[in-house]
Amino acid sequence: MADDVVVCRGVTRTYQDDAVPVLALQGVDFTVTKGEFVSLAGPSGSGKSTLLNVIGGLDRPDAGGIHVDGVHLNELSESELSDLRLSKMGFVFQAYNLIPVLSASENVEFILQLQGLPAAERAERAQAALDALGVGELAHRRPGELSGGQQQRVAVARAIVTEPVLLLADEPSANLDSNTTEELLALLRSLNETRGVTILAATHDPMVMSFAKRRVQLRDGMIAEDSARVAVA
Amino acid sequence: MNELAASYSSAAARPALPMLNVRIAWRNLWRNPRRTWLTASGIAFAIMLVVFAMAMQLGQYELMMDNATSMLSGHLQVQSRDFVETERFEDTLPGATELVRLVESWPSVLSVAPRVEAFALASAGERSFGAMVVGVDIEAESRTVRFLDFIQSGHAPQGPGEAMLGSVLARNLGVGLGDEVVILGTGKKGGMAAMLLEVVGLFTSHQLELDRGVLWTPLASVQEAFGLGDEVHTLAIRTNDLASSADTQRALADHLAQGAPDSPALVRNWDEVMPELHQAIEIDKLGGDLFFYIVEILVLFSVVNTFIMTVFERTREFGMLLSIGTRPWRIVALVQWEALFIWAVGAAIGLGIAALLVFWLAEVGLYMGEQLSEYTAQFYMPERLFPAFSIEAFTNAPLVMLVGTQLAALVSSVRVRRMRPVEAWRAAE
Ligand SMILES: Nc1ncnc2c1ncn2[C@@H]1O[C@H](COP(=O)(O)OP(=O)(O)O)[C@@H](O)[C@H]1O
Ligand SMILES: [Mg+2]
Repeated sequence: MADDVVVCRGVTRTYQDDAVPVLALQGVDFTVTKGEFVSLAGPSGSGKSTLLNVIGGLDRPDAGGIHVDGVHLNELSESELSDLRLSKMGFVFQAYNLIPVLSASENVEFILQLQGLPAAERAERAQAALDALGVGELAHRRPGELSGGQQQRVAVARAIVTEPVLLLADEPSANLDSNTTEELLALLRSLNETRGVTILAATHDPMVMSFAKRRVQLRDGMIAEDSARVAVA
Repeated sequence: MNELAASYSSAAARPALPMLNVRIAWRNLWRNPRRTWLTASGIAFAIMLVVFAMAMQLGQYELMMDNATSMLSGHLQVQSRDFVETERFEDTLPGATELVRLVESWPSVLSVAPRVEAFALASAGERSFGAMVVGVDIEAESRTVRFLDFIQSGHAPQGPGEAMLGSVLARNLGVGLGDEVVILGTGKKGGMAAMLLEVVGLFTSHQLELDRGVLWTPLASVQEAFGLGDEVHTLAIRTNDLASSADTQRALADHLAQGAPDSPALVRNWDEVMPELHQAIEIDKLGGDLFFYIVEILVLFSVVNTFIMTVFERTREFGMLLSIGTRPWRIVALVQWEALFIWAVGAAIGLGIAALLVFWLAEVGLYMGEQLSEYTAQFYMPERLFPAFSIEAFTNAPLVMLVGTQLAALVSSVRVRRMRPVEAWRAAE
């Protein structure tokens, strides 16, 4: 159990803001172990983003418990959740990952600055992360001067530069063409394999699923299929 | 895990340098240069207008006070405590010679003019008018005030039997230079006081009260005619600095209390001697301040508008920042930095233009026009205005706008403090 990075027990999330309540998550039991690369699949509206959000501490479940790296998220205040995200998680979203007025390296440094690292160390680590993602040469460019794929690589660099316990990616390849998607996935996979980064990526892109070692299928807010469980069973 | 826990706690303990924040803030201004320039121009306009207008206004007050005090009353006056209240002829300052010497010995006093003021009937032929007969030491007056500048014809009364009249009084009496005027009044002890004077000078001050009712003649002869010894009613004083006359007033009062403990002397500042001028200035200042605040508030509304727009447009960006673990106060601080920069740009331009205007007008002055002078003389207003180089004029508007822009930013970023990351993402979709 010490190797469990994410543990969800009976996680339920209902959106009330429309006339008809939407049951986005209906009792999800789910565990991610250290070093896994999990793809969270399912059709649009099946609850993938909602699950990532509650695991990432961006949203709170109505019922059920979530532990990340042994910390019970339900018990944390907003600012404690914020600090937890900063110290233990890396995020890659579908778009708008970067601060438009900062260069690639400044974007990566930004998060290290939030962590309070001294400038010299920040610059060094940011450059190393960009190099690892193959965009070291583009360090001085601003997001507007980068292609979609390059922007997502910078976003991944920022997500991993803090050496997070968990990398959460919500449709990271949604705006990319298939070649670029493949390159990005290859990079994620190598981060997972060589550095042991634990990755949970939501997608409905079959290519992503093929790159992940474990595939979890969501349907109507419930886990319909889990390749890990199938293997065990 | 332990390592991470360590870095986690150190992040909380060590506040990060604001450098990146500052860089983001500055660059954000130039994402929408048009809007930034418009907003900064508004700030510059308000600062320029208020700084310039305030410098002119304060310059005008300075000149008004200077004109008013140097015309007749002096910066300070010494009178008997009782005379201040009752204005009775017998409430004089005894030991005048010694008192003048004492006042003159005070370092920040430049000159002292002793005066006797006797109300009497002035007659010439069949005509008689009430007049204030002022006994003066012409030499001391010429050092203390500029009243002699108003001489229209003739000269100042030098010897006994000579008089200088207000031009309206002279006209009313039907006298001119060389004619004789008879003065009849009541002496200090109740006896009749009479003087026969020759008109040697006429003055026009444009202050009707003076031109119609005042007559100057040498001090000694008034003292003699009205049964006074070494006594006067007023010491008019010129100090080395009008702006600090209130300080001199206090110091001089102490000095007199020690040097002449038995004297009923009371030292009064110009604003007590001429309360109507002081009030007129205060009311004018209030009106000016109101106008300045209206200009500043109007401009600040546009600043609020700009910031509400920038914050709204960046909802998704802020949502991303919150998601990756940025605390809301950091985003609020970012917006405050942006407000600071936009203020700095506006203030630099506004102050620059205002300074140019002020320095230029300090050289050439602003001509107020001939037609004003009858009216303006009443309020001691000069024909040509010069701005004041006052710290207040140059700092007031920039500071008000600094506080205002910071508040405007704070109002606009209220949203950020309540924002939840997920909502921010969805709100922007
Ligand atoms: N903030 C919200 N308010 C209301 N309904 C929401 C909200 N977020 C998601 N939903 C709804 O919850 C369901 C699951 O959404 P989501 O988790 O985004 O699915 P996915 O990421 O798999 O497309 C959908 O029906 C969606 O419309
Ligand atoms: Mg989604």
